[in-house]
Amino acid sequence: MTWLTELPAGETDWERLRALFPSSIDAFDDIQRAAWTRFDPVVLELCRLRMATLLRFGGGLALRSDQARAAGLDEEKIAALASWPTSPLFSAAERACLALAEQFLMDANGVSDELVGDVLKHYSGEECYRLVTALSAFERLQRGCLTLGLTESPESAWLSE
Amino acid sequence: MAPKIPLPNAELTALGTPDTRSLAPEMADAARRYFRESGHLDEVDVVTTELVRIRNARHQTCFL
Repeated sequence: MTWLTELPAGETDWERLRALFPSSIDAFDDIQRAAWTRFDPVVLELCRLRMATLLRFGGGLALRSDQARAAGLDEEKIAALASWPTSPLFSAAERACLALAEQFLMDANGVSDELVGDVLKHYSGEECYRLVTALSAFERLQRGCLTLGLTESPESAWLSE
Repeated sequence: MAPKIPLPNAELTALGTPDTRSLAPEMADAARRYFRESGHLDEVDVVTTELVRIRNARHQTCFL
């Protein structure tokens, strides 16, 4: 339950926010949906969950992407996410993306040519750009929910599409 | 500051930053709509909004 008061009626806090700012929240949701297009859903889900772990965003951690699950991501790998640098479950491409995601989240100024270069060994420049815009979308949503005290993540709407 | 990824063209936005819309057009469209809609929210006065924006830019060391 959010600490926001006097929100209009709605099934969830997110829907109550939407009732207050419909066009803004609709556009925000569209950004999140767009983030899941045209990039490896397994990598995106690993990054999303890693960011949620670091930010302690329980609402996001409780959810799973159907796209990623269908592409082969299982709970064993998710459980090993904290040890991605050394776990044999993670590919070099996934490690490069997770390293970039962690640095992006903690201090974007510290994103180095080397970090991006490691991603570019596995993905095109366009794909790298899509990854970064997705990371930005994930961060915006997670920090926003935490700031507003939204314990239930609105991500369920698009992670299960 | 040099871009870390190859850019699709040499076009610049009105802010002088690389125009990357063609790299992820659906994301660019949604983001543009979001910022346009959010800009219409006037519950917070413009001075406070600008102070927060500048403070955040300094915190992120963003000089654009």
